[in-house]
Amino acid sequence: MNPMIDDEMLDRQLREAVPYIDDDGFTARVMARLPAAPREPRWLRAMVLLGLALLGSGVAYLLSGGLIRQGLIQMAEFPIWLLLVFAFGCGLVVGAFAVIFAIRKTPEVRDLTRLNF
Amino acid sequence: MELTDADLVARVLADDDQHAFGELVRRHQSSVRGLLRQLTRTDIALADDLAQEAFLRAYKNIRSFRGEARFSTWLYRIAYNCFREDARRRKELVGVDEEQWQAEHDPQTVDPGLRHDLMHALSLLPLHERTAVVLCCQNGLSHDEAARVLDIPLGTVKTNVLRGREKLKRTLAAWAPN
Repeated sequence: MNPMIDDEMLDRQLREAVPYIDDDGFTARVMARLPAAPREPRWLRAMVLLGLALLGSGVAYLLSGGLIRQGLIQMAEFPIWLLLVFAFGCGLVVGAFAVIFAIRKTPEVRDLTRLNF
Repeated sequence: MELTDADLVARVLADDDQHAFGELVRRHQSSVRGLLRQLTRTDIALADDLAQEAFLRAYKNIRSFRGEARFSTWLYRIAYNCFREDARRRKELVGVDEEQWQAEHDPQTVDPGLRHDLMHALSLLPLHERTAVVLCCQNGLSHDEAARVLDIPLGTVKTNVLRGREKLKRTLAAWAPN
């Protein structure tokens, strides 16, 4: 056996002998055969959320025993700027939750920020 | 920022993110198809069909990937299993035996070119040696990783690599500088 040939040289030759195989549509063919991700219909999700919101409001109104009505009457007597500040605060809280859930649902942003909610 | 394989797998697991899986396919398609081309003796159409099957299986079973090994090692194992099942169906798993290898390996009849000689010699190795050499020497897997891919003892992998290398060195001997 020729002493000049060692394992390192052989491995190098083997690696160099195999060219990179161009994708040439291979990935697209694989992706086309992937099973569709199971997704619930959007309208069903919206209807469930709306139904739960209405049900919760109705139950809260019935259990309050007129407290909500009195509260609304009192709020109507508040100065307009105070109502605006209250509405703005509520908007901020809802917006913050919206951002958090948007990040959770968007893998690109989640990986970018490295946030774990 | 380039995401690691582990990041992409995590995306597939968390969100069923098919784009992330597509990126994994793009990254590993060349090595998986290359491995299968070696195993099928450069039958490109068959190798690509098996590679597609391997990636589909990987997607369907990605929850069984626990991250103990590299993603590529796990993928090679699936690809090798696809090849084995197909070979069983075709009853071609036996491969070329030692005598046939010796008979076919005639330096006078081999086309010129070191690379061509080497690949020809590699294709003539018995299947178990060829697979071990391709995984360890060409794709850079450790003996331990190759043993996991092939589901055989570590010592067997080492023996197969050693024997395969010796045969290939005989091919290369004529090309070595004097």
